[in-house]
This record gives sequence, structure tokens and C-alpha cells, in this order.
Amino acid sequence: MKNPQELANKRYERIMKAINLEVPDKVPVVGFGGDVVAAYAGINQYEFCYDYEKAAVAIEKFLRDFPFDWSLAMIPGLDGRPFCVAFSDFEDITVNTTFITGPMHDALGDKYYRYPGREISVDSSPQFIGGTFMEESEYDKLIENPVKFIAETVLPRACTNLETPEKAKGALVRFGVEIDRFFNAVMRIGGISAELGYPSIPIGGAYAPLDIISDYLRGVENLLRDIRKYPDKVKKATEALVEPIVNYALAHKKFGMNLLLIPLHLNEYLSPKLYKEFYWPTLKEVILRIVDAGMKALVFFEGRHDAHLETILELPKGWGIAYFEKTDIIKANNLLKGHTCVMGGIPISLIVGGTPASIDEYIRNLLEQVKPGGGFILAPGVATAPRETPLENIRALIEAVEKYG
Amino acid sequence: MLDKIFNLIVELEEDEAIGLAKKYIEEGGNPQKLLEACGNAMGEIGQRFEKGEYFLSELILAGDIFKSIMEFTLPKLKQGEVTKVGKMVLGTVHEDVHNIGKDIFKVFAEASGFEVIDIGIDTPPEKFVEAVKEHKPDIVGMSCLITAGVSSMKKTVDALREAGLRDKVKIIIGGGRVDEGVKEFAGADAWADDAAKGVRLCKELLGLEG
Repeated sequence: MKNPQELANKRYERIMKAINLEVPDKVPVVGFGGDVVAAYAGINQYEFCYDYEKAAVAIEKFLRDFPFDWSLAMIPGLDGRPFCVAFSDFEDITVNTTFITGPMHDALGDKYYRYPGREISVDSSPQFIGGTFMEESEYDKLIENPVKFIAETVLPRACTNLETPEKAKGALVRFGVEIDRFFNAVMRIGGISAELGYPSIPIGGAYAPLDIISDYLRGVENLLRDIRKYPDKVKKATEALVEPIVNYALAHKKFGMNLLLIPLHLNEYLSPKLYKEFYWPTLKEVILRIVDAGMKALVFFEGRHDAHLETILELPKGWGIAYFEKTDIIKANNLLKGHTCVMGGIPISLIVGGTPASIDEYIRNLLEQVKPGGGFILAPGVATAPRETPLENIRALIEAVEKYG
Repeated sequence: MLDKIFNLIVELEEDEAIGLAKKYIEEGGNPQKLLEACGNAMGEIGQRFEKGEYFLSELILAGDIFKSIMEFTLPKLKQGEVTKVGKMVLGTVHEDVHNIGKDIFKVFAEASGFEVIDIGIDTPPEKFVEAVKEHKPDIVGMSCLITAGVSSMKKTVDALREAGLRDKVKIIIGGGRVDEGVKEFAGADAWADDAAKGVRLCKELLGLEG
């Protein structure tokens, strides 16, 4: 085996070549995170989310035994979009609210998430549930000053520990302590990864403005009704959210993070007409501002994005990575070749329910089609694998990429 | 008037559709016929979804309209007047607390004439088994959004098998993380990741025209 530094450099170069639309020595492959990492180390989801010591040991064990080019195995956290906006005037804090971990969830007492050993069983994965914390009559307040409105009106409703200024004092101190603890754990896992030959590619975050409104302020169903009832207000609200989101996104630069993950949610729900009118314009603006600042975006197109694929071509060549879940990956790759790095291609059901032979065949087939010309990163459609995932299948995947990549 | 109501629902003209349906009932219209018209409209919306003309946003809005009309139509129906095409036990599987997909599917299944017994979210296999024993459904519908749900689905099918109930029901699984591979893995009879296709498959499972 090469020494870890050499291995990390090789992997880094492989990934960067793909991102920069060049042909790497081998198609880079992204590994799993999620339940399987905890299960492999024999700890439950509660321990994985709350005991950073045990989680780090579990991640180390998984990374050592299942070597991929790029690891997404991490201590679980759920998207903290409203917090990123609420703290967007504080560069040093906003970047640290990208993920709300179990202990942060406890400090805030929020109603957005369900954590194992808290609202759900110790064996369950943490889950986002969202909710409605803004009235339909409050769009004007959101439009006027989104940071103030979310910080002062929405969060006290969404977090039991921020209900009153009095309660908020203690909660925010605790939240800060937890941010620090998580930051240290992340640094430690970064160190472990480096020792095992994984490249360091720190990922920050940014968001689609309409997703903030649907997931954290109004709830998906209400938002869809609002779009019909108050189209202009919804549109103005997305426009008002661009600035705080960009402030949050650009704050990452200071901390050396040049790749920003934008996980989309509502994309699959919308018809092309609604997508182009309410979702895409402000998402596009956020991405363009990121690119202008010399950073790249990693957009996770959740579900099926087939109906909106063409809009990606409106972005400048080499803007970042389009990570697809259930979109036809061959179609997407053919359309975006030479313009956008495409990531995805491994259905999680194949790894959970397939056999080493079926995995080998699938990967061979897929790579034959996507490998020529470069600009492709192989990855699971969803990077969290369930705890019963057969380990021989994960090994089969690694071997198949080794053979055909 | 029923044709007009059908069209208004299909075109998602919420206020007008509900208003006209209310007028129809108030003027002594036949609630059974209105129910059928609404069901047909939801079927048409489902077809448009499968063709890629409608998206989830349209399905959710259609569900809203349907629920609103049912609110004042169902009490007008005499007991036994409605013939159901089949009975279904439906739940989000263990360790998954999401309900949006299950709820959209439920509205469409009901609109198609299924009697749906909703056993909720985070439903352990034993609860599915109990519900099947109690309600004797034709179909068991399982929903999941997170990947952990994939193994819960398999465990639920296994539990039904162990209880000797597997052959007595058809099993359909649905949700964002579901595909052919998950169907094979879990041992279900059908899968769908959208409500429209799911309801069509449920009818097919019972030998009815999709």
C-alpha cells in the first residue's frame, strides 16, 4: 500500500479531475455513510449521534475496512437551514449551523428533527420532519427582513428552548458549546481520514431559497397552496432570502471551504413551469454568486430531476457537481458532458438487495457508458446505507470500480 | 353539472370545484354520483401524473380538493351505499416517521374506491400483522422515505409470512427510496414511488383494470 499521503493525493487528483471535467486515471467513487457505519462497529444510532467518541471509532473502522476515494461517513446531523439564515450576519457561527446534530437538537429543543433516543427509538436513524412555523399572513414580514423574521419570530416558535428571551440565553450558550464539541469531533475525524489516505475535501453548504420556505417556515403542502394563492409574495420571499443565503455561503471561503453542498428538496415536486418560476431563478442566483466567488457548488438533485435537467445548462461550464438520486444518470450524463461534472449512479437498493455478481455486472455496464470523456463521479444515489446492508456487497462495489473504473 | 365538476377538479380550480360540488349536493344531487365523478377526476389526474404532465404539487392540490368535497358528501351517503373495490391496511414502516407520501397515496386510493385503514407512521411489523388479522384486507401498503425503511419493509413482509398471512394479502411498497430492487429484497408484490402508479398497481393486484 502507498503511504497515506500519496494515496490521499492520488484520490484528490482523481476527484478534482472529474470535477474539472477532465479524464482521471480512474472513475472516482464515493462511499457510504449512515446506519451501516454504526452497525458495523456494533453501536446503535443513539450512540452514533450522541457519543462523538464512539462515533469517531466507528467511522475509523468503516473507513479502514471499506476504502473509497471519497468518504461521506460522518457523525449524523440534519440540515440546519433556518439557523444558517438566522446567523447569517455572523460569519464564524453561520457555517457551523449547516448541520444540527443530536446534542445541538437537545440544546435548541427544536421541532424540526427526530433524534434516536429522544423522539424515536435508539435504533432509528435521525430524521427531518419539518413543520409550519409561519402564518400565510406573514410573507410581508419575511420579505421585509428575512434574517430578523426567522431569528426573532420563527425560531422561537420552532424551538421550545428559544421560546422566550430568558430561555434562549441558556439555550444559545449550550448550542455554542455543542457547536464547538462537534467542530472538534469533525477535526478529529478529518485527522483519522488523513491517516487512512483519504483526501481532505471540506464541504460547506448553501440552500435553495424556496426550500427554506417549504421545509422550515410553511411546510411543503402549505407552500404549494401559497404558490397558487400568493404567487408574487412567494416569489418576493425567495428573492429576499438570496442575500442571507449568499452571506452564509460565502462565509465558508474564509475557513478554506470551497465546495458547497446544496441539497434540494422541492425540485421533484414542481412542474417545469413552477420550477422555472419559483424555484430555479433564486437557486441559480445563489449558485452563480458562489461561482463568482471562486467556489464550486455540489447540488444534490433529490428524487427525479429529469423534467428540469435542461436548466442546468444555463450555468457556466464547470460550475460544480450535479449529484443525482433517481434521475436517469445516463441521460443526464449525455446531456451535461463537458459542461457539468455528474455524480451518482449507484441505486441503494442494488447494494442492499443485490448480489456481488449483479453489482459487478451493473457497475461494468454503467461505467462503459459514463466513463468516456471523464467528468463523472460514481456515488450511491443516497449516501446513507441501512444497517443490514450486506458487507460483501460493499466489497463487491469497491472491487467492481477497481476493475472497470 | 357533474362533467363540469370533473373538469374543474382535473384543472385544479379549487374554489370553483368545491363551490359547484357543494351546490350540486345542496340542490339534491346524488352523492354517490358525485363521489364517482370525483374518483374519475382523481384517476385522470393520476394518469396525467404518470404521463409527466402533472407533478407532485398537482397531486397534493388535487388531494386537497378531493378531501374538501368528501367532507360534505360522505355524510350524505347512506350506509352500505358505497361499494368498495377492496380493503387496504396502510402504514409507514418501523423507524420511519414520514407521512407525506403515505397521505397522498391514501387520498388517491380512497378516491379510487379503496377502503383504507391507516395504521400510522413508525409502524412495527407486529402492528401490521395485528391489523391484517383484524381487518382482513386485500392489500397491505407500506411506505418509507428513509433508507432504513428498506429493511423494515423486509422485516414486515417476513413477519406476515411467519404469521401465515403472506399468501392472504397482496403487498405493495411505496415511497421515495423504493424501486424494483427494494421490491425483490423485501419480497413485495409491487412497488411504486408515486401515488398514481401505486393506485393503478393496487387495482391490477386485485385483477381490476388499472
